[in-house]
Amino acid sequence: MSQDLSNQNQGETLEGLSLRPATKEELVTAVEQAFDYRGDVTIELKSGEHLIGYVFSCVKNDSKAYIEIFPTNETGQIKILLDDITAIIFSGKDTAFGQSWEAWIKKKKEEGKK
Amino acid sequence: MAVPISQMVTVASYVIAQKLKGVKRYPLVLMLEPIFRCNLACAGCGKIQYPDHVLDRRLTPEQCWAAADECGAPVVSIPGGEPLIHPEMSEIVRGLVERKKYVYLCTNALLLERKIQEYKPSQYLTFSVHMDGLRDEHDLAVCRDGVYDVAVKAIKMALKKGFRVTTNTTLFDDANSDRVRAFFDEMMDLGVEGMMISPGYSYDKAPDQHSFLKRHRTRELFTKLLTNRKRRWQFNQSPLFLEFLMGKREYDCTPWGNPTYNIFGWQKPCYLLQDGYVSDFATLLNETDWDQYGTGRNEKCKDCMVHCGYEASAVEETFSSWSGFAGTVKSTLFPNAT
Repeated sequence: MSQDLSNQNQGETLEGLSLRPATKEELVTAVEQAFDYRGDVTIELKSGEHLIGYVFSCVKNDSKAYIEIFPTNETGQIKILLDDITAIIFSGKDTAFGQSWEAWIKKKKEEGKK
Repeated sequence: MAVPISQMVTVASYVIAQKLKGVKRYPLVLMLEPIFRCNLACAGCGKIQYPDHVLDRRLTPEQCWAAADECGAPVVSIPGGEPLIHPEMSEIVRGLVERKKYVYLCTNALLLERKIQEYKPSQYLTFSVHMDGLRDEHDLAVCRDGVYDVAVKAIKMALKKGFRVTTNTTLFDDANSDRVRAFFDEMMDLGVEGMMISPGYSYDKAPDQHSFLKRHRTRELFTKLLTNRKRRWQFNQSPLFLEFLMGKREYDCTPWGNPTYNIFGWQKPCYLLQDGYVSDFATLLNETDWDQYGTGRNEKCKDCMVHCGYEASAVEETFSSWSGFAGTVKSTLFPNAT
């Protein structure tokens, strides 16, 4: 895989990472990360096609494991078999990442000083 | 009385019917999330962190009604996001009311004054206004100044127009029990029908990760809040659930009691965790491995004492035994007796 996620901390973001799994286990790990990611990802398929969207579902138990995405630029949803995926790029902004609470508290404290 | 008799009778009849039919897992409150977009970004909320094209998606009225029909729960809670942003929300509510569902429209009230003419007062419709404490605490929790005053004004206006109004309050680690008790007084002074209170759940996507309550701290806080409570404080929730929050009762989580439906589908396993989605309610009920969830069985559930997991458990106890029923009556009539 192009990036080892085993040491990923909760306070870090995957934004910008590109994962190219070499094994089925790595693929499952990458897909789980994409499912947990609160931003769009780019899915590279074996066909060479690239799909961009938000991964909202991940079904791993079936013989045909798949993910479902809401594509960025169209309505509806797309089902993608895990077997068809060659790479996952965390291309969209991680909307859950940031220090907005800390920033708000800092602003309140600064206001309190005035 | 915090909940009207007609609503009590409807819920009681429904639960008894489920028990007579031998249904082990039944929904009590449908958590319907037609939109995730919100006009606030509260520190303790993990519901709204999505890309814009996801926030722009909405459930249609037909999808909402189909979910309510499919699920069959007598009560529908509409959280979000901010439901009043949804351009068809009044139509969604109208259809649910026509189905005689008791609808709790959960709102921060910022848009209530502008939108209220789209709604008609009904015993089936309650505006449940998000209030996390007195002015300072609320504005801090919602990360915007002035929201408390807007909400108070909107509550007064809605009450004047004859709507049912309750408050819903999420309490965090920094809650000061004296201030919260003063808040209860203030809300009852406004004339709301009742209040709903719950400890916050530690969403791993929420901006503020430091303030979520641990179980022992939840029990301490709610004991301070609810011991020697004033008679005029009305809580729009199961009295046994309040005793659970105080540590007087132990319950297992019943996540199927508050199933969640949103733009992604039926959410597994509950309103708070996102372990995947299925397209129909029967699949959610029958194919979710419920034994994986709950305190002691899942790390993510470790500190959870939230209403969407445990209030249905309390209601189940009320109708499962004479002692549960008697406990409910006693706790309703004499809340300070135990």
